[in-house]
Amino acid sequence: MNNKFDALKDDDSGDHDQDQSSPKDIEKVKIEEDEKELNTSKKKMVVPGAGEHPLQYNYTFWYSRRTPGRPASTQSYEQNIKQIGSFASVEQFWRFYSHMIRPGDLTGHSDFHLFKEGIKPMWEDDANKMGGKWIIRLRKGLASRCWENLILAMLGEQFMVGEEICGAVVSVRFQEDIISIWNKTASDQATTARIRDTLRRVLNLPPNTIMEYKTHTDSIKAWEDFHGLVNASGGR
Amino acid sequence: MSSGAKQAKSCPIPTRVLTLKDWSQLPDCYSQTPGGTLFSTTPGGTRIIYDRKFLLECRNSPLARTPPCCLPQIPGVTIPATHSIGKLQDLKEEEEKDTADDSQFEMDI
Repeated sequence: MNNKFDALKDDDSGDHDQDQSSPKDIEKVKIEEDEKELNTSKKKMVVPGAGEHPLQYNYTFWYSRRTPGRPASTQSYEQNIKQIGSFASVEQFWRFYSHMIRPGDLTGHSDFHLFKEGIKPMWEDDANKMGGKWIIRLRKGLASRCWENLILAMLGEQFMVGEEICGAVVSVRFQEDIISIWNKTASDQATTARIRDTLRRVLNLPPNTIMEYKTHTDSIKAWEDFHGLVNASGGR
Repeated sequence: MSSGAKQAKSCPIPTRVLTLKDWSQLPDCYSQTPGGTLFSTTPGGTRIIYDRKFLLECRNSPLARTPPCCLPQIPGVTIPATHSIGKLQDLKEEEEKDTADDSQFEMDI
């Protein structure tokens, strides 16, 4: 087994999946704490301001960062993800986006998440449980432009898949960056095909860029297998 | 026309009555197409759709420039990183250097 490659494979976009092991009790407690935190921090309803262009949905920006080398755990993921803010109009979106660093300039193992208001950027959220994501691995230097094109397409309702889109993630990693878009129903092939086609159209990706679709349950299994290997005293 | 024709039920168009004391009370949305500037119809209902070009143009409006309220201060993300390795900091320093060079050039002329 080549540890280096397994480690890289593990570092998936939205790899907060891998920070969560499945025991149901821990999941439940985590969600309750998370909701409590969200409820206390969000008291006002976000609405478009006068003269602003409303979006089809409200969205929330999140940011997460993990210290590389620190063992992933359910608690550490919760602590490492922060809400940046929510918006309901095009102008409000720009206000946030213009005051955030571009993903290409992020340091360390970091992610930006942009999800519809009310959907947490976590596999356990009801909207994501049966869902999956398209992931695109990018060489260094492309993330900022691709992220911007991806979120403009999402906010502008270019994907045309009804309510299926949940959100988008950009993940900055050691030697590559990853962008992904999450949808609610992994088994809905018409939806996933249409999302893939829209991604090709709006992202202007380098030729031969590979797009991969992963269900969230598959991502969890892969993470569990990997961590099972590592924890068992260096062997299976 | 025929005697067997049924009379269709009539139903008033739903309306909302506002009493205004002044023209300034007229709502912003009065006489505008609901849902935004680009009004499109898609299967399943109307959606607010914007293309990339339009969204980028909105960036220049004054409404889009003010800092959002309650932006959390995250070094390296929303504010410059505290140590000099942070990229935002480097960009700022470069900017200052460039403007200094420009003014020297003009003084020479």
